Amino acid sequence: MHLLTHINKELLLLSRDRAGLLVLFVMPVLLVLVLTLVQDNVFRATGEATTRALFVNLDEGVLGTELKQGLGSTGVLELVEGFSGETIDLEKARQLVSRGNYQFAIIVPADFSVAIAAAAETAARAALRGDDMAFKPGVLTIYFDPAVRGVYRTAVSSSVQRGVLGVAMARRSEAVMRLLSQDLQESIDQQLQPYGAAGLVHIELPELAEGWLAQPLIELAEESAAPQKFPTMPTSVQQNVPAWALFGMFFIVIPLAGTIIRERQDCTLTRLLTMPVSISGLLGGKVFAYLLICLLQFVLMLLVGRYLMPLLGTPQLDMGSAPLALVLVAVSSALAACGYGMLVGVLARSFDQAAIFGSVSVVIAAALGGVMVPVYMMPQAMQTISIISPLGWGLEAFLDIFVRGGDLSSVLPQVLILNGFFLLCMLFAALVFQRWRHGA
Amino acid sequence: MIETTSDHVIRVSGLTKTYPGSSRPAVDHLNLEVIRGRIFGLLGPNGAGKTTTISILCTLLRPDSGRVEVLGQAVLEKAREIRRSIGLVPQEIALYPTLTIRENLSYFARVLGVEKKRITERIGACLDLVGLAEVAGRRIDRCSGGMKRRANLAVGILHEPQILLLDEPTVGIDAQSRNLILEQLRELNRQGMTLLYTTHYMREAEDICDEIAIIDVGKVVALGTPGQLIESNETCENLEDLFLALTGKALRE
Repeated sequence: MHLLTHINKELLLLSRDRAGLLVLFVMPVLLVLVLTLVQDNVFRATGEATTRALFVNLDEGVLGTELKQGLGSTGVLELVEGFSGETIDLEKARQLVSRGNYQFAIIVPADFSVAIAAAAETAARAALRGDDMAFKPGVLTIYFDPAVRGVYRTAVSSSVQRGVLGVAMARRSEAVMRLLSQDLQESIDQQLQPYGAAGLVHIELPELAEGWLAQPLIELAEESAAPQKFPTMPTSVQQNVPAWALFGMFFIVIPLAGTIIRERQDCTLTRLLTMPVSISGLLGGKVFAYLLICLLQFVLMLLVGRYLMPLLGTPQLDMGSAPLALVLVAVSSALAACGYGMLVGVLARSFDQAAIFGSVSVVIAAALGGVMVPVYMMPQAMQTISIISPLGWGLEAFLDIFVRGGDLSSVLPQVLILNGFFLLCMLFAALVFQRWRHGA
Repeated sequence: MIETTSDHVIRVSGLTKTYPGSSRPAVDHLNLEVIRGRIFGLLGPNGAGKTTTISILCTLLRPDSGRVEVLGQAVLEKAREIRRSIGLVPQEIALYPTLTIRENLSYFARVLGVEKKRITERIGACLDLVGLAEVAGRRIDRCSGGMKRRANLAVGILHEPQILLLDEPTVGIDAQSRNLILEQLRELNRQGMTLLYTTHYMREAEDICDEIAIIDVGKVVALGTPGQLIESNETCENLEDLFLALTGKALRE
């Protein structure tokens, strides 16, 4: 009986906390929706989902076109040959990929058909006649966005490799068949001439030289589209440390919102508002204190990436070549996190609300912003929505510095957006504080 | 600090305040005058408008109509100056629970604009006055109810305000702590501080107040010294009898 009484009381209390209920039910629904949707493409990566890649066909022969058909038929790649109504050249492709507009560009060189034909001929001669097997393969270059994670890059490379293999095998077979028929004919002619009798002819089929398939006709060259001054190959450390550091920084939302709520609950805020203190001073004090915490947290994460992770066998974190830009992005991201914390703090009515809403919304923003699954791997609709995530803005700027060799000018748009978000949040918080001060 | 030579440090005329969503005003054309150096008691049942009046006086609420002057300055126009000259001791223990008594006092002294070189001296004086000097290093959440109340009072007087507004400063504590606080309030008054004081304890008000206003449903229903008020009604032997006679015995909010 007592149990029922307690259950009844708890349900009654819950029913009175409508905002709390909303948080309890709506936030998990949002979490499930967002995380499922952002990961959708990842799970379909080996299936029907396609990756958009630039295709720059400079080949003067037919092989470039055949290759395009071959790659398209794999079902994994959707090849794009124009951007904003213009044909893409080599430089434009590099720019688009290095800026992150596209994650890959496949470049077919001008002499590709000629080079492959020559290589196939050499390979066939070597196989049938024992000639020198050395030939120069045709090189197909893939530019990739340095921010692309290694697993995804490998998956796309494998898909291109599959497409290339079909074209290369066809060319190689053609060359061998052509040469084989020539050799047979020559052999028959040679044997018929001295004897003049058909039944005595003995045709010996040449044996294909061992390893005639060993050397590929077409080689894939993966190349970072980053500027030459930053040629390092991105590592998982380069990509993951800034992503998770940013995620951690945004969790400042919970303690920061918590202090505002506690001050409201224990009436210290009421007391402060009756004192000769400015609201900007009150808010500024909180922001600067938590900004410091955020930055310390970030530095700690960088130190872990730089010194601890190599001890565990991973590559060392390279902090890029733009320290000023790095500091600016870190401060701007931390300010955005603090601003969001202030916003949650003035909107939530209890610590529980702030804790649940704060943490779940940060996880959602992290998922949308590409912390867990890169934005380019999300379905198109989610990619569109992802632009609202402050974590996405911060991550983009950090990746610019850490893997794309970006500098102050390249991260400036994200820095401005992060600071704009911070100012908007602070303005809203200041208005609410002003309202509290005058008991509206 | 506001400099004024007027004897009336608080003047309230026609003050009206209705909270959003409420059908009746919390304060309804209230008139009050508090003379410098007095202890003024504001008594009334729950929901009478005491806390609303104090909130308006300490600039935390905007009145709908009427004129409210503190130290000769209108609260709506000179809120910042008024905040420097008044002290507030709220009903709740408005202190940071995880900070020590001294840390709380130190923080609020700076917020209140106490001169840097006087902070230590003022903290010491306030701690002595409220009898907490020996436990100043104790966290608020580890203090007894009485100690918390006294620390709450200490914060209100750190900057030596001309007027101290006290909203039920003795609620929920034992008789010993209450007596100690009342003695401290008398001492502050002897030093020249004007006190505006709300309480539910009639005996307490009778003992400490120079002048009392009994308010009900937002209006003043009786005003005078405790002696005058008791004498005004022949059937009443004390302030509590008068209070019940004026405000009725029916339960309030």
